This record gives sequence, structure tokens and C-alpha cells, in this order.
Amino acid sequence: MASSENNAVPPAAAAQPLKLFGSWASSYTHRVQLALRLKGLEFEYAEEDLGSKSEELLRCNPVYKKVPVLVHAGRALPESVVILQYLDDAWPETRPLLPADAFDRATARFWCHFADDKLGPAVGAVFASTGEGQEAAVRQVHENLALIEAELRDGAFKGRRFFGGDEVGLLDVVLGCGSYWLAVFEEVTGVRLVDADAFPLFHAWLRAFEALDEVRDTIPAVDRLLDYARGVRHMLLSAGAAAASAPAAADAPTAARRLTSPSTYDKMAGPAAGQGRPAGDLQ
Amino acid sequence: MAGEQQQPETELVLLDFWVSPFGQRCRIALAEKGLPYEYSEQDLLGAKSDLLLRSNPVHKKVPVLLHAGRPVCESLAILAYLDEAFPDAAGPALLPSAADPYARARARFWAAYSDRVYEAGTRLWKLKGGEARAKLQARAEIVEVLGNLDAELGEKEFFGGEVFGLVDVALVPFVPWLPSYERYGEFSVEETAPRLAAWARRCAERESVARSLHPPEKVDEFITLLKKVYGIE
Repeated sequence: MASSENNAVPPAAAAQPLKLFGSWASSYTHRVQLALRLKGLEFEYAEEDLGSKSEELLRCNPVYKKVPVLVHAGRALPESVVILQYLDDAWPETRPLLPADAFDRATARFWCHFADDKLGPAVGAVFASTGEGQEAAVRQVHENLALIEAELRDGAFKGRRFFGGDEVGLLDVVLGCGSYWLAVFEEVTGVRLVDADAFPLFHAWLRAFEALDEVRDTIPAVDRLLDYARGVRHMLLSAGAAAASAPAAADAPTAARRLTSPSTYDKMAGPAAGQGRPAGDLQ
Repeated sequence: MAGEQQQPETELVLLDFWVSPFGQRCRIALAEKGLPYEYSEQDLLGAKSDLLLRSNPVHKKVPVLLHAGRPVCESLAILAYLDEAFPDAAGPALLPSAADPYARARARFWAAYSDRVYEAGTRLWKLKGGEARAKLQARAEIVEVLGNLDAELGEKEFFGGEVFGLVDVALVPFVPWLPSYERYGEFSVEETAPRLAAWARRCAERESVARSLHPPEKVDEFITLLKKVYGIE
């Protein structure tokens, strides 16, 4: 082991190359790209065709077969939030994504899980539905955004520029890489999701986040995202209008999954969506 | 450990529900760490308490760990919190040390993955009689999940190696649910995941586990009750 203070990873290992398998439209991939940039870590990027995944990806992520996967020192790391925490652990001398305090870390983890378990699928449901089903999905998104707005206004993140404080942290990366879909979906579906009047603090945070250099370097141009979203929306709606307008918002992600290839759906709504976490009071 | 005299500024209260495997994760971790706490049973089938609604307004779910009055929600976040807030507590940390970031990442990955046992298992008993195709899918999923966990465990004593660690604590509360899942799904854990089955028997010998988990019969009774509540045949 190294004799330096921060010997979490011996210098030889920390200096070993990083390779990221990702997909250009995947917000989960963007999380890792952004985190690497924020930490000033060089990496090789390999674009995956999610409709025809490479042998290497499948070897690296046999359990989920998804992007992103980060390969470092011969080891493969899947799952974006796991990867982000790994970056903190393996490069402790770089700017940390997680706060130092245990309670603050728990809070950040809680809201990251909320982003992936609740907000993300709700946004995906808006995109995959029309009519009554979509209205219900929009209400769900608004409820979720209201919870985050409340935390920014009176709760854990009161008075902060970013969720991480003066600088972006884990939750900014997780929420931010994905929130750009809100504006894209608004444009494509004609539905209002982030009303600056209803969610002023969230709106302000998102603008501040999107203005950062590292974020501008990571998020694809909005034209590409719009084209992509229009294509998927068209496919979703034309492939099965009946299923796409299912009355219950909970059906929409499942409908979307049936209608789209797994690869397209992966990009949109992420690993947790469509699995239908059981209703109940246990977590 | 529950009910011991505590200093107010370090007081730990666990809002929980007797059969909740997510709550049991916390109970087991608290016991392994020798941390005294007050156990507060929540009536989830009736009206939720003001304390629960205030402590977890977002999800209104258990478990919630209150530490000097401040709530920590979500079982896996609570486990990480216990490691980080009580570094001097008894026993090894649940997570591998910072000297091995990859082992930590693996532990986080598989601890989160263990949730899928419960998700797939729940789908099995929630399905109505006529949903044969969905049932086959749920069965295929739980078999795959258990197989993956079996492979990850390999020949190790615990997922944490010699240490009864994060993944072990995260997964073990689902063990009493497995006989019910086996029956509803018509599969066998012994056949599907024999190393996991042996691991489950080893874990049952630990005091923290034996004291925290309920027998499969009790869990099965609870499932039957829930099916009535949800109106499932």
C-alpha cells in the first residue's frame, strides 16, 4: 500500500486507465461522465448500441446488461450511483460528491433513491402516455417536484445554491442528469412539467446546474435530444395507441416497455421503472 | 439492547413494523453493533402515527431511524448511516474499509440487488389465479435473482467474506419469506441456490438474526392476511 495519507487506492491503481461504456442519450451515462469531469479524471468512452450490445459490455455487466459501466484497473462497476460513490472512495483527493457528515450523506442517498424510484419513472410515464393516463402521470411529477421544492425552501437544502451546497454534489449530478428531459418532454408532448412559478427554487437550481461548464460539456445538444425524443414518442404512440393511453399512470411504463425495444426504454426511464415496486408500507 | 437507558443527545429510536424485512435489516445491524435503541412498533394496517408521518413525510413508510430526533429513512441508507455515525461501535463495519473501494462498490451493488428478492417474491403472491403468464415471469425472475446471489456468494462464508456484512444484513431478512415464495412460485431454493440455502442456515445461528427474524409460518400468515386485505384470491 502507498505511504501517502490518502492510500485508499494505491497510486498505481488510481493511475490506471478508466473506460466508460455508455449511451449518448442515457442520463445515467451522463451522471458518470459529469462526475469524472468534475473530478478531473481522464477516461476513455465507448458508445454502446443498446439495440446490439457488445460482448464486452455483457461480460462487464452480466446481471443487468446495461450502461453505464465503468471499468477501472480491470474491474467493472455497474449502476451509476454505485459508480459515483466509488469515484469518491477511489480518488479521495478529488472534490467529493458526497458530503462529509453522516446525516447529510443519508439525506443525499435518500433523495437520489427518490429521483430514481419516483421522479424518474413518473417523468417516463408522462412521455409514454396520452390523455387521462398522461394527466395522472403529470400530477405525479408535480407531486414529486413539490416535495423537492419543499426541501429547497424549508428543509434539508434550504438556502443552498446546489443540493451539495455551494458546489454540486451527488444529488445535483443524479437529479441534474435527467432533469434536462423535463424541458425536452415538455416540448415534445406539449405538457407543462416544470413551471417556474410553481417550482421557483427547483427551476433556479436547474438553470444554475445547466450553466456549469462541465454540465454543458456533458449534456447533448438539445436539438439531438429533441429529435431523439420525438422519434421515441412517435414509436410509442403509433405502435399501440390503446396501450399508451392506459388510464392508470402505473401502466404507462409497462406499456412503454412493451412498445419499445429494451434499449430505448433503458435510456428513458432507467432500471427501476416498470418493475412495479410493490405497494405497501414496507421499505 | 432495546429499552436500555440512553443519553438524549445520542438517543436512537427505530420506527418499525414487526414483520418488515426492511426494519429487520436495521434491527440486526443495531444488534451487531451493540447499539441501544428504542423499538417503536407502528400500526401500518391502521392509522399511521403522527411521528411516522412527520419523520417520513415523503414515503410514510418504515423503517425510520431517529437519531437525537433526526430521521434517517430507507433501510440501506440507515445501514450506511450506522457505519458512518457510529465508527466506534462493536463489531466490524458493515461496509468493507475505505482501503478497498471496489469491495465497497460491490457490497453496495449487491445490497441494493437483494431488494429484488422481495420485489419478485411479492409479485408471486400478489398475482391472482388467472394470471399464469405474469406468474411465470415472476417465477423466472426470482429464480434468476436467487441464482445471481448464489453465484456472488460462491464458496464464501458470508457475502462479506469472513465478515457478516452489508449484503448479508440486507438479504437475510428475506429468508423467512422464501418458503412462501417457493410455494407460490413452485420452485425450490435448495435446488436453485444451494449455497445461498446453506448461507441462510449459517446466518440463522447468529444471535442478532435469530432474535430479529420471525419464523416462516408467521410470515406466511401475514401474507395470507395481506392477500385478504388486497382482495386477492
